[in-house]
Amino acid sequence: PGGGESNRRERSSRLSALQEQLVWSLLGSGLSKELLIQAMGDLERERASAGAEKMDRADGESSEEGDMDNPPPIFHELERLPPEEAARQRAEVDQLLQEDPWHMAKMIKSYMQQHNLPQREVVESTGLNQSHLSQHLNKGTPMKNQKRAALYSWYVKKKAEINQQFTNASRGVVSGEESGDDVRKGRRNRFKWGPASQQILFQAYERQKNPSKEEREGLVEECNRAECLQRGVSPSQLAGLGSNLVTEVRVYNWFANRRKEEAFRHKLALDVPYSSQSAPSTGQTLTSSPSPVLKYNQSVVCESLGTVRSSSGEDQGGGGRLASPVQLEPSHTLLDTHHHKPASGGGSLPPVSTLTSLHGVSGSSAAPPGLIMASLPSVMSLGDSSLFIGLTSSQPQTVPVINNIGGGFTTLQPISFQQQLHTSPQQPITQQFQSHICPSSFMATMAQLPCHMYSKADLSSYTSSLLSQAMVIADSNSIGTLTNLTSVRQILTSDPEGHSDTPIEEESLHLQSTSPEPVSSGSLELYPQTHTSETHSSHLLSSPPGDIDPYMPTQMVSTAQ
Amino acid sequence: MTKKIFLSHLEHLLPMMRNAQWVEVVGRDAIYKEFLFKDFNQTFGFMSRVALQAEKMDHHPEWFNVYNKVQITLSTHECGGLSQRDITLATFIDQASVL
Repeated sequence: PGGGESNRRERSSRLSALQEQLVWSLLGSGLSKELLIQAMGDLERERASAGAEKMDRADGESSEEGDMDNPPPIFHELERLPPEEAARQRAEVDQLLQEDPWHMAKMIKSYMQQHNLPQREVVESTGLNQSHLSQHLNKGTPMKNQKRAALYSWYVKKKAEINQQFTNASRGVVSGEESGDDVRKGRRNRFKWGPASQQILFQAYERQKNPSKEEREGLVEECNRAECLQRGVSPSQLAGLGSNLVTEVRVYNWFANRRKEEAFRHKLALDVPYSSQSAPSTGQTLTSSPSPVLKYNQSVVCESLGTVRSSSGEDQGGGGRLASPVQLEPSHTLLDTHHHKPASGGGSLPPVSTLTSLHGVSGSSAAPPGLIMASLPSVMSLGDSSLFIGLTSSQPQTVPVINNIGGGFTTLQPISFQQQLHTSPQQPITQQFQSHICPSSFMATMAQLPCHMYSKADLSSYTSSLLSQAMVIADSNSIGTLTNLTSVRQILTSDPEGHSDTPIEEESLHLQSTSPEPVSSGSLELYPQTHTSETHSSHLLSSPPGDIDPYMPTQMVSTAQ
Repeated sequence: MTKKIFLSHLEHLLPMMRNAQWVEVVGRDAIYKEFLFKDFNQTFGFMSRVALQAEKMDHHPEWFNVYNKVQITLSTHECGGLSQRDITLATFIDQASVL
């Protein structure tokens, strides 16, 4: 056996012996060379766009075909740089796909926060569903490999873009790298204030509500510097900020809006306060000192957390409570960009961002319900984990802004909680909170190692020497007693019939016939099924302090070089 | 529906198989043979050829492989014994093994 193939070996030199065999087998099976080559090309292309197929099982995701649609879906990211860069990016994407999806989600999310990138941009350039994307990034909702590949491709590309923007800026070159944006969003993404800038502005606002042009310009500088620092780049490389570059006009608008906001709040405060609650006076006192700070905190926090606080009498009770948000550090507040547009109850439309930043500045104890932002889930995001905490109750309540940054699990502080419960009935506002803790069901996405378990079946009948057993028995006449397996003996052409009289030791065939399962031999091993799953579930409940990604994650600093 | 090989045919075919070193399995209507190759590559090449053919015929062997050894048992499930397909495949297997 084992036909001579020395001649064959000399032929194709670049193939391994097995590859040769396989190709040969294919050719021998009737496949023509052209067909084979064509098929290979097709398959290769399919594989490339499908991303890392081999991750399928490992992810433990539900059944997934190779490509969603047979022709690979468009990524909307077709514009590539020269081949080496494209190849490099693709390689990086593949590598990222091997990593843990949740870790990747965290990384991408924090990158987006750091650079203040809108989700919309991702959605537009990847074709992903925005809700799905948001859930994946914030809550870890599973995302299939192909889609993750799209996401990571965008990420890798974006990083390259931004790095280029920054480096070009340092050389005084303006790069026209807006490929993705052009068609869709006109030119640039909408400007968004970063937390660092906001902090600076709020502080300035406290000092003076109406800064002069020079002062505004100074603030522009300051803010841009802070934003660059947040992104880990030198403050002089402004181009990297892209659409989020702070300009004098924007600063002007910001102040104008804040002034209007305040005026509006004032107006609301004067409205009929029908919160029958406790002394409005308490509330008033609160207005003075904590409120500015609160305001700042609130706006930052609320914008990011999207929490709702209806200004009502209840708030004052929580004097102590109110103090807590004060401890907020801006860097930690932008944890979650969930941001629901609240429905305002009142008459005239409040100024631009009032609805978001307003709340609680509950200094407005008298505050009317008018402001209730209805049905906002209170999202407590901890650095790297998102928790939805809320109360389900039909009673209108206030949601205190609580941010338990340093800690893990964020819960409503008991005090305020009870307060709400007690004071609720009066509120005409109905707020619905979804209380659902992120189910750990999606934890099913945790990687499950493929378990290769070879069961040792019927080992009793077999020994490792089984393999060397020979098959015997020609006809039933020669059946001897079935004994233990013996060594190999292949009955050659010598007439078996001749042996019919001699008892031939029966071999394993008997057993073999009864057990169709793979024969286990010494060479198989039981693969241990142990798999320490990452503590993904833990991130839901508690975010280990070390894990929280601050706004300026130290490890990010170097990436923007 | 595949039919078992006629007994008369069997009487004629079996010796042929035996000559080719296919032996009958005790207690079951099947034939068996062991193959030994030089190394794993050869072995798996052989198995690939057999596999492709099996797919084509829609008739698959029971086999076991360890490194350079392959043990093959052929039988037809739906008729509970040997059928023409087994013979055909056996022939092919033999051819493939000497390639």
